Amino acid sequence: MKHTRIALASAAALMMTLSACGGDSGGGSGGAYPSEDMDWTIAFGPGGGNDIMARTMVDILQRNDLYPENIRVENRDGGSGATGWGYLLNQAGEGYGISTTSGSFITTPLQADTGWEPTDFTPVGLLAADNALMIAAGDAEFQTYDEWVDYATGKGSVVVGGIGTVNVDYIIQQMVADAEGYEIEYVPYNDEGQMQTSLLSGAIDTMISNPGSIMGQIEAGQVTPLLFTGPERLEALPDVPTGEENGVSDLPSMPRGLILPPDAPQEAQDWWVETMQEVVETEEWQAYLDENFLLEDERWGEDFTTYLDETQTAFEEQLTELGAL
Amino acid sequence: MDTFDNLANGIVAVATPMNLLLLLAGVMLGMIVGVMPGLGPSAGLAILLPLTFTLDPTGAVVMLAAVYYGAMYGGTITSVLINTPGESATVASTFDGYPLAKQGRAGPALVMAAIGSFVAGTIGAVLISVASPMTASLAATFGPPELFLVVILGLLTLIVIIGGNRLLGALSALIGFAIATVGIDIGTGQQRYTFGSVELINGIDFIPVAIGLFGVGEILHTLWRGGHLEKLAYFNVSARSRDFWPTGHDLRESAGPITRGSFLGFFVGATPGAGATVASLMSYNLERSVSKTPEKFGKGAMPGLTGPEAANNAASSGAMVPLLTLGIPGSASTAVLIGGFMMWGLQPGPLLMTQNPEFAWGLIASMFLGNIMLLLVNVFCIPAFASIARVPFRVLGPAIIVICVLGTFTVNGSIVEVAIMLGCGLLGFFMRRFGFSPAALVIALVLGPMAEESLRQTMIISGGSFGIFLDRGTSRALLVLMVLLLVLPLVTVLIKRAAARGIARYGAMRRRRARRSGGLPGGEHTPPATTDTVADSTDREPETERVDST
Repeated sequence: MKHTRIALASAAALMMTLSACGGDSGGGSGGAYPSEDMDWTIAFGPGGGNDIMARTMVDILQRNDLYPENIRVENRDGGSGATGWGYLLNQAGEGYGISTTSGSFITTPLQADTGWEPTDFTPVGLLAADNALMIAAGDAEFQTYDEWVDYATGKGSVVVGGIGTVNVDYIIQQMVADAEGYEIEYVPYNDEGQMQTSLLSGAIDTMISNPGSIMGQIEAGQVTPLLFTGPERLEALPDVPTGEENGVSDLPSMPRGLILPPDAPQEAQDWWVETMQEVVETEEWQAYLDENFLLEDERWGEDFTTYLDETQTAFEEQLTELGAL
Repeated sequence: MDTFDNLANGIVAVATPMNLLLLLAGVMLGMIVGVMPGLGPSAGLAILLPLTFTLDPTGAVVMLAAVYYGAMYGGTITSVLINTPGESATVASTFDGYPLAKQGRAGPALVMAAIGSFVAGTIGAVLISVASPMTASLAATFGPPELFLVVILGLLTLIVIIGGNRLLGALSALIGFAIATVGIDIGTGQQRYTFGSVELINGIDFIPVAIGLFGVGEILHTLWRGGHLEKLAYFNVSARSRDFWPTGHDLRESAGPITRGSFLGFFVGATPGAGATVASLMSYNLERSVSKTPEKFGKGAMPGLTGPEAANNAASSGAMVPLLTLGIPGSASTAVLIGGFMMWGLQPGPLLMTQNPEFAWGLIASMFLGNIMLLLVNVFCIPAFASIARVPFRVLGPAIIVICVLGTFTVNGSIVEVAIMLGCGLLGFFMRRFGFSPAALVIALVLGPMAEESLRQTMIISGGSFGIFLDRGTSRALLVLMVLLLVLPLVTVLIKRAAARGIARYGAMRRRRARRSGGLPGGEHTPPATTDTVADSTDREPETERVDST
């Protein structure tokens, strides 16, 4: 792998010398865009959803020789993403910093004075939406969504869980409860593991989880999926209904996208939009989406910014209404 | 037996020359990472995780398990030699480890700790094979109420341990709780004491506080005492020298603590939550309660080091149980491992053991082999590490401060954390100067947020009723355990006193009888010292001999 990179770099260098000899049309501006190493920031620790996505992308870019120079990947975690994206913010005006986004990209600025908004960054595009499942314990007395609604409305008030307070999970639980007409006591967790044991121990009735992280337990029959928040049913779980089917529309999802520093050069943005459009066509990317149960949801350039803006406004309204902000 | 077949197959699969080399590399890297203050096992795993992406899953997991063990042990080295725990699980190792090093017994302390870790790791690996199904069902009964009780159990143990000046100790713990409130309040999403700073959103991390309090604080205190002017008594740390090896007395004295610590640690570790930290504290407390010489604890008692060491190592094996059987990480380190599993395309969960048995058993087997490797590496490397203790303070002091700054900075690349670390260094100096307990502060900082979070979750679930603790089976069992923990020291004192009284009466009777018959039987003249060392083993029965000899 190292050898190919070196070979590639020398090939690129050769090409550049050749083109430099060929003619001086660029007027000294340095020529074609990717001519330096890329500094790739992952705003979370290793092993999480964001990390896996970023490393998959970098792997695809390098394997298919799409980026001519080196890509340096670094986890700059802390402050629910504030540290990593703050680092990207400081590279404003440059085209050689890049980062992947997740739900915190929208929610962290809502709860902390980060000094940036999602719309400040130069958008490359939204690539996929990470939808969630509502999960019950495998030995619970309700094993389908309808049974759950009967149980919850019969009881009037139920105890449900999710990760964090100012987060997608809470919005989902509250929206479903409002639509079906039952009350919830929402228990926020910091950690997926504790939430899972909590569910299995019978302390909470349902929880929100991502398909990628819970599929093992579903297959083993330890937990039962009740509802999928995406627009269509998951292929792997054809019996699990969507929110849409049950009249709960516009359930939020985690935006998995790519951003450049604020005010990045136009040529950098163009280059990345074009290249990522190639990346999402690769088999590796499709395999990644399948393995992690992500839905393809592509919005390029300004469409992504509009999407971020709308989503943040919607989150803010929902969370303010729910009293979390 | 099926489980042992599986384990044997796992060992065979893992024991290829390539894997053994990876194992060796992992243990060495882990130890190096663990010795850097601030880089504990979870940070070590996170840093080295990308290195394993080019390996096949079995090779990768072999290496990571080795890193995990190496880093755990690296933390012990710094706890003993420079009184700076790399992570909360080794805080208890400073209590007696550092005093031992000060007495010039760093070599035996480290070797005994390595032996304790080895025995515990081995017992842990065997227990995983046998007890996985059992402990898994226990782990699945752990909701917020149980987690809260476990954390309280840890905190109670801490209060019992503080000993000395309990008021100052409790005050130290309260400072720890106060620091722990910084950050986003999990219940409402409100920020507490962050002053709008992005760096403080996630709260104040344990690592800079511990490095500051223990590392820098200790250096400042030594300077203040004039330690840099003292001529160090050179003690020779070499595997060839006699002083390096533990004495038979050390071994006998530690057999009980290591065994107890291993089992205690494994079961505490198998419950998701603050596993290793709580386990090591509980072990320390247990050893002090059952010890015949509790007054030696904190002043360099070998059982006070080997018990907690065994417990924290066994807890790291225990933490693998919920990971392998339920797919639930029991600690920060295993959470990083889960991330690794997913990147190798393995789905963590209850099916992992049935769908990828070669992987799951390979992991268990590599923990087993990793322990052997660790023991070997240690015996050869401890002299190198222990020679740190020979470096004069005026050289070592500044170097440690530099390492503390670097160690803090490398974890998150945050300069604010370096400032926090240095601030805590000053705090640590004054705490030591006035008899506060930095350990209590650090443990409270680690356990405080968990206690708060789980209690609030419990109260949301129960609608504000404390009755929930009595409604749930596991909670009830934990409450009983808590009562036992509180009563045990009292009861042992009573039993000892009763035994002493009984024996005194018996002895008096015998003496009277002997006087009457004229002369003592010859056997009575055995020197008391020898019986005393034997009496230091597992049970309290030999109590009689000690009292007899006084």
